Order: sequence, then structure tokens, then C-alpha cells
Amino acid sequence: MIEVDSLAAIRSGNRILDAVTLTVAEGTVTTLVGPSGGGKSTLLRCLNGLETFTEGRVTIAGHELGAGEHLPRALERVRRDVGMVFQGFNLFPHLSAIDNVTLAPRIVRGVPAPEARRRGLGLLERVGLSRFAEARPATLSGGQQQRVAIARSLAMEPRVMLFDEPTSALDPQMSAEVLDVIVELARGGQTMVVVTHDHSFARRAATQVVELVAGRVHRAGPAAEILGGAGG
Amino acid sequence: MTPARQRERGCRPWWLLAAVWLLAAVPVDGLAAELDEVLARGELVWAADQEGGGPHVYVDPEHPTRLIGFEVELAAMLAAEIGVKARFQQGQWDRLPLLLGRAADCVINGFESTPERARDWHCSRPYFAYALQLVARRDSALDSLDALAKEGPRGPWRVGVLTGSAAEIEMRRSTDLQVEVVGFDGTVDCLEQVRGRVIDAALMDDCIASFNADRFGELRGVGRSFAGGTYTILTAPETPRLSAAIDDALGRLITDGRLKALYDRWDLAGRQQMLLLRDAAEVPPAQRGSLADLIRGALPLLLRSAGMTILLSVASFPLAILIGLAVAVGRLHGPAWLRPFLSGYVELLRGTPLMLQLYALFFLLPKVGLALPAIVAAILGLAMNYSAYESEIYRAGLKAVPAGQFEAALALGMTKWQSLRHVLVPQAVRIVMPPVTSDFIALFKDTSVCSAITVIELTKRYSVLALSTGRIAELAIVTALLYLAMSWPLSLLSRWFERRLERRSERAPG
Repeated sequence: MIEVDSLAAIRSGNRILDAVTLTVAEGTVTTLVGPSGGGKSTLLRCLNGLETFTEGRVTIAGHELGAGEHLPRALERVRRDVGMVFQGFNLFPHLSAIDNVTLAPRIVRGVPAPEARRRGLGLLERVGLSRFAEARPATLSGGQQQRVAIARSLAMEPRVMLFDEPTSALDPQMSAEVLDVIVELARGGQTMVVVTHDHSFARRAATQVVELVAGRVHRAGPAAEILGGAGG
Repeated sequence: MTPARQRERGCRPWWLLAAVWLLAAVPVDGLAAELDEVLARGELVWAADQEGGGPHVYVDPEHPTRLIGFEVELAAMLAAEIGVKARFQQGQWDRLPLLLGRAADCVINGFESTPERARDWHCSRPYFAYALQLVARRDSALDSLDALAKEGPRGPWRVGVLTGSAAEIEMRRSTDLQVEVVGFDGTVDCLEQVRGRVIDAALMDDCIASFNADRFGELRGVGRSFAGGTYTILTAPETPRLSAAIDDALGRLITDGRLKALYDRWDLAGRQQMLLLRDAAEVPPAQRGSLADLIRGALPLLLRSAGMTILLSVASFPLAILIGLAVAVGRLHGPAWLRPFLSGYVELLRGTPLMLQLYALFFLLPKVGLALPAIVAAILGLAMNYSAYESEIYRAGLKAVPAGQFEAALALGMTKWQSLRHVLVPQAVRIVMPPVTSDFIALFKDTSVCSAITVIELTKRYSVLALSTGRIAELAIVTALLYLAMSWPLSLLSRWFERRLERRSERAPG
């Protein structure tokens, strides 16, 4: 589903990513772990073209991205199949929860408004928030906002979901709410790449763990092998 | 203070000079209406500035909907001689000749014959003889023309003149006088300043001085009138047959005595003597009508002009917002080659006065074959000027939307323009709502500048009425109340809208 081949990203003369190669199989969960500044978020953002890379190649959900600037049309095609959930949620504050969820299906995929709403309500139900469909993001807790963001991303029926530290802005209780949703998605066979510092989540849900240190793949393998059996 | 309120709206002399220079530099293209066109139209359009006041052209204080003055009657007589009707066209006095071939066939408004005017325009045979009269307060130390040669008690004498008039030329030419010349747009304003001791004296055509004598009982003529000249009718050089027809008609009015009869009716024959008689004895101030009468007469006119103010505002501001938003989006997200042009557009319109832009649209475009009606030029000018300010506001608003919003929209597969339309712009609009509504109120008041291109809106109407009736303070209050009545609901509306937006963002979950 995802092939990353010899990826390098250079910013202001610094190699943020260096010769990164990894494979993510369909229906699996890969967590990217490692110290801050190790290149985890940059790698994730290169996967859907939010950032460019200097060398190498990415194949994701059947689309190929090469080094350098990407064509807008190519990026739009990739992003229709690759969803992303951000650390800061990035919900659209002027829209209600349900409108956040239905906007992209309506205007990108051309889904009729009633159909988009029906599906959107189903997704909010799935993340436990159907009661808050008409609420504005500002009135929701951080955990609720992140769950709306997940529903929003799922509404585009992505083949791959990318999560950029989805719980690091949340307290433990809210983190647990969000992680439960992500684990549930993993059980449903959603292909996912998750940047996280939460080793317990990695142990619970990850098929493989990739540790990035100073822009390089330091270790890669099953969670138990990379992270050990216990602890956080 | 928003930047919009801080901006310069005034007309600086150097901009005027630049405008005149530009106008002179562009060749006239023969748009002027010749005699056959005037005959076919059945109307002779004559231009004057009713704000200039009596006895030339002014609003009848008894019937404010009616224009009177000896030039109003002269225009009617001339038109009748040619075989058509006369139609009045308002303009700002010192720019009336620029209307020739554009919005008027001729200018009849106390224009003195000068070699410069004879070079640029066709000047008819004289229709009126004038002399200059110095006017000062009765208790002033300035008691003779000779006194101007020595400084007054407070230094050089401050003498007011109508800008661009023969009086100004005369004063500036007399270098041996201890005089500081102060220019005014209207003679009544000038006399008010003499009465209020802001300036020491005013120099004007004797007929204007004597016409205003009753209203300004505290003032008197100083010495005899001097340095006379004649008034002429201006027509465009491209209309020789119309000019000849006007000249012939004027000749007939003079030879058969109808012009003298007109001047007798207006008491313009032997005016000097009347002034001397008036000076010899105290003249009681003229009786004033009641405030109710004044308001009854003036309110319909003021309301009609307020309608024009509203029309200009509501037509131009939405246009300004659309252009401004397009420019802001183009500067932030448009192609790189377009951005310098858009920056140039903003800087040009922010860096030049609105009045100059209006002149360019109204007076310069016809020179390249695009003649806009005054109202269209006014709406377009206001819209373009304000679009520059709106674009800066929207640019700031768009930049204030967190970068993550754009990324989130892109990550959902939206194109750049879909992201802008559905995510960024709606949020920016909420952010910029307060400054934008303030700007609307500012534009509302800026519509007054449009009088420079012959559009009569509320401020211009006030000015004309105040000068013709002398009820400056009372009419100012009525006009201010009208402005307030229009702008206050706008402020309330904007506050309501802001509260509504706040409530929507704070609404509790259902």
C-alpha cells in the first residue's frame, strides 16, 4: 500500500530525512516513533505531499510522488485517497461538526448534500459524537474535536490514514477516547501510519514500529521487538 | 482610528495642478456638441456653480427647488434666441470649463475675459462689466485701498479671494501691497471669515459684494471699486458654429435693450451708487424666515440628495469588497507574475487622493473615447479607491487564519481555490467584519467628494443651500442629523452582525 524508497529531505542545508526506506502493507498499522526532531512528522507529511522531498520516491495507494515540487492535480489525486489527522485537530471553526465532516465529500467527491449528511451522521455515531453534530468546534473538548477530525477524514473514505501525533495535545482521559477510536479503525483493517510518542498505543495497535533517529530509520520491526514487552 | 479614517481625502493644490496638466496634455477629441446637435437635442446645456451664489446663479431662498440669478435668466434668453430650451448643469466653479464638450455646451458663470481663457476656449463678446470691490468690517482699521500699502495692526493684511478669480490675480499681481492672499471656494465663505475677524478683508466682483451687502450688515465697501473687466461665455473651440450662434444671440440681446432690462430687474445697473448709499447709513439686517419654513423648504432637497449619497454608497461598496477580495486572494495565492501588478494597483489607489481618481475617470477617460456618466464614474471611483483598502484588510484577514486550516483543507483533497472559497475566505470575512463595516461608514461620508465631478449629494446640497439662505448652522444641524440617521443604523447593523457571529461560535452543543 505504501512504498518509501530512499527518501531524503533537505531543509536549509540540513538533512531532515536521509535514505528512509520502508514498506506498509495494506490493512496494517505502522507507528513512527523516536525522539523529537527525528523526522517523523516530516516523513508523514511527505507521504501526502504537504511537504516535498529532495531525493527518493513515494508510492501510496497506487499514486506515485517523485522528488521536488508536485503538480497540484497529482496532489489532489493522492489526497483523495490519503486522509490525515493533525496534532492540532484543525477543524474548520466556522462550521458545525457535521458540516466539517460533510464539506469535503460534497465539494471534492460531489456527494449530494443529503447523502453526505446521512453518511456524516453515521461517522459521528461511529466516533461517539452524534449528539454533537450541530455543535461548533469551539464548544467541544479537545478529545471530541480530534474525534470529529477523524470522522472528517474518514468521510472521504481514504485507503490510507495518516495521524500526526493525534493525542499529544490531549490529557490522558481524552487521549484514551481518541486512541480507542484509532484502535477500532485498526481492527477494521484500515491502513494507517501513526506518528506517536505513546508506546502503549504502539504495542496495542501497531503491526510494525519504525524508529526514526536523526532522519534515518534506526530500527524497524514488530512492536514487541522494538519497544519491548511493557512500559510506556 | 482605522487606516481608512486616517487617509487623506482632501484636494491638495499640487494634485489639482497635476490634473490640469494632464488634461492639458491630452488632445481634445472633438466630443463637443456642435450647433446642429444642440438644435436636434432642443436644449442648450449651460454650466455654472450654484454654490458660487448670487447674483449670478443661486438657489431661491423662498423656493429652494428653484434656481435664480441674472445668469439663469440670461441663459434662458440665449437659448430661446437659438430656438431651444436652457438646461442647467452643476459643476465646481474653477473646473467648469473642463465640462465643455463633456457635459455642457457653454459656461455662463462670471468668467472674466483673460488672455489665457481666450487661448484655451472660445470667449463670447462681453455680457457684463464688473469692477473689484474690497470689503472689510465696519470697525476695521482698513479704511482705504491705500492702507493696503502698509502693514495692519497684526502684520500684513489678510485678504480673502475666490480661488482662480480676477480678484486673486489682481491681488497676487500687486506685489507692492502688504497683503497675504487667502483663497476660498465660495465668496460667502470668504465674507463669513471677514465677519468673524479671521481675515481682514475680501476682494470680489462688485456685484457680488453689493448682492451680499444686506446679509453682511457688519461689512462695508472699502474705497471705490477698481480694476474692472468683463464676463464672457465660454464654449469649446471645436464648436465654432455654436459659439457664433451664442455671440449673435448675445448681440441681439444687447442691441434691442433686453440685456439692460435684465440688469435693471436685478438692480445691477448703477450698483456702485447703491453701495455708497448703503454705506452712508446703517442698514438693518435682512429679515430671516422661521426655522420651520427653512426646514420645510430645504428638507425635500436634502432628502433627495441623501438618496444620492445612499445610492453611491450601496452601489460602490459591494463592488469595492469584491474587487478588494479578488486582489487580496490574488496577492496571496495568485500566480507570481500577477502579484506585482496587484501590489501596484493597491499602492496607486492608496497613494493618490480619491478626488484625483474621480477627475481621471470623469475628465480623462473621455479623452481616450470612454465617456462615463458622472454617476457611473462616481460609483466606479469610490469602488476602486476603497477596493485598495478592502484588499489590505482582507489580506490581513486571510493571513490571520491559521496555516493549519489551509493544510487541513488541502489534506482533504480540496483544490487551492476550493480551500480558499470554503475554508479560508469565510473565516477571513468573520475576522475583518468590524474594520469593513467601519470602512462602509467612512465611504458613506466620502461620497461628498463626488460633487467635484458634478454629482450633487448631501454635502454639496447643504453647501449650496447654506450659502444661498445664509442659514449655515441650522442647515448644518439638519444635514448632520440626516447623516447620523443613515450611518447610525449601519453601526447598529454591524454590531448586531458581530454579536451574531460571536453567538454562533459560542453556541452550546445540542
